Amino acid sequence: MSAIQKIMGIVWAAMGVGIVPLAIRQAMTEIAKKPSEENWIFWSIVIVVLMPIIAFSLITFGVFALKGEYDDIN
Amino acid sequence: MAQNVSASHTEEVSSTRRVIAASSVGTLIEWYDFYIFGSLAKIISEQFFPKDNPTAALLATLATFAAGFVVRPFGALFFGRLGDLIGRKYTFLVTLVIMGGSTFVIGLVPGYAQIGFWAPAIVFVLRLLQGLALGGEYGGAATYVAEHSPDNQRGYWTSFIQTTATFGLFISLGVILAVRQTLGLETFNDWGWRVPFLLSIFLVGVSVFIRMKMSESPLFAKLKKEGKTSANPLAESFQKKDNLKMVLLALLGATAGQGVVWYTGQFYALSFLQNACNVEFVQSNIIISIALVIGTPFFVIFGSLSDKIGRKWIMMAGMLIAVVSYRPIYTVMYDAANLKKKTEITEKTVIEHKAEVKGTDSLKTTITKKVFTDGTTFKETKKEKFPVDPAAKAALPKDKLKPETKKETVLPQDIFMKMIGLVFIQVIFVTMVYGPIAAFLVELFPTRIRYTSMSLPYHIGNGVFGGLVPLISTRLVEATRPGPDLPPSDPLAGLWYPILIAAVSCVIGVLYMKNRPTAIETE
Repeated sequence: MSAIQKIMGIVWAAMGVGIVPLAIRQAMTEIAKKPSEENWIFWSIVIVVLMPIIAFSLITFGVFALKGEYDDIN
Repeated sequence: MAQNVSASHTEEVSSTRRVIAASSVGTLIEWYDFYIFGSLAKIISEQFFPKDNPTAALLATLATFAAGFVVRPFGALFFGRLGDLIGRKYTFLVTLVIMGGSTFVIGLVPGYAQIGFWAPAIVFVLRLLQGLALGGEYGGAATYVAEHSPDNQRGYWTSFIQTTATFGLFISLGVILAVRQTLGLETFNDWGWRVPFLLSIFLVGVSVFIRMKMSESPLFAKLKKEGKTSANPLAESFQKKDNLKMVLLALLGATAGQGVVWYTGQFYALSFLQNACNVEFVQSNIIISIALVIGTPFFVIFGSLSDKIGRKWIMMAGMLIAVVSYRPIYTVMYDAANLKKKTEITEKTVIEHKAEVKGTDSLKTTITKKVFTDGTTFKETKKEKFPVDPAAKAALPKDKLKPETKKETVLPQDIFMKMIGLVFIQVIFVTMVYGPIAAFLVELFPTRIRYTSMSLPYHIGNGVFGGLVPLISTRLVEATRPGPDLPPSDPLAGLWYPILIAAVSCVIGVLYMKNRPTAIETE
């Protein structure tokens, strides 16, 4: 179980890192395609609120998992 | 001797019941206050946030989103810290007073027509205060009840707190409908909408009175007496690796998944019935209300079950079943109301036309009524408004001339019951993930920083991940629309967001969380 937890730690951290450029690129494309106020508000919420929370928590959690911080919980 | 033991046990049970009642009623009122703003959003928008004023419109958007996404977690930090420093009892008394006071004052604020820009500005600030108070309330109530509960019944006792969010939604809908029915639609839209807000002060007054009589949580009181309370709960909660890792586990492995399942089963289901299935307003609300009422006891059932078999597997099972069954459930819901799959009784079709002139505008209304062989009825109201003057009409852009269309489907009894059943199944998922979660969160953190540590992941999971379900799901559906006036090619696309979040949360929970409840006194 511990090995799987550690391997999956890499996956979580990679997801956290990957989501940043992905979300920013998507936001820029969508806003360029249709620069409406509605679009700005939606992508601002995604980039300013949701993305940082997902990225920070997944990266930190992934690193903790990789270091075996959760081994003693079960 | 036996009599003494029995009397002491009876007193203990009665005391625990008082603790639960005092905490649950207050939390229920806070949810009620928070929801009436959302349920009356349309009227509030007309009264305080006129669309033709861009600043007011921006404030309206911010009031909607900021209260849920930004202020709730901030309230969790602010009041969580306070609760760990000065105590649970006084902190969640303060949140209750702030919430009740803000709600009451919203009911008193004059409209935009009377005081101009001050109206949206005041309402905006009051809405932020509501979000702030809500952020502090839940953690306090859950912690307070948990710290009074015996270890082997913590899931059961805290599950009463878990019913309050659903009951709060139900009561807010009930009060609004009752006031609307009593006063009539016109009076309600004029001033009657203020009544549910004003009513809050009495509810809060009663709740404050009850809570004032309660004593501090025994665990916190003991810590305080021994001088072992935390000097800096924020730093201890989020700067110490041993605690931060549990905060992250709570967020990613439990509350994020719980938040999306909770919002999908209640709010998204209602929105889907009204917008994708076009089910008429009152009927769709009745479907949700009945499903909520039947489903609510399951919060207690799953909370209690978690004391016996553990919290983890109940919550994970709820998420997993939701992930695999959302699309099939919504497919059945969509098909059950899909008019293309029904046979129309053409001889019963009625089309009415009405034309009138209002000032310089001409208003043309077309009402089409259809009846189907299974008993479904459908009504489409199309309103076209354009200037009487042909030159002025020609000068208008095309989108201004687009007719306003309202579609309403009334389902026959058997499909109505089927819809209740399908929403009820989703409410069961909600009760599985939400029933045991208060006990689970409480047991993750030590008493000295419990309020702070459990409040933040709860409000990020519920407020941010869950609160974004309507917004993101609507966008996902819109993205499948081939053209501006064409229907979406995948009306179920909105489900991918809750499915993805719940799936990730489920994998993390299964891999990293422990199952058995912990004795919180012996940490």
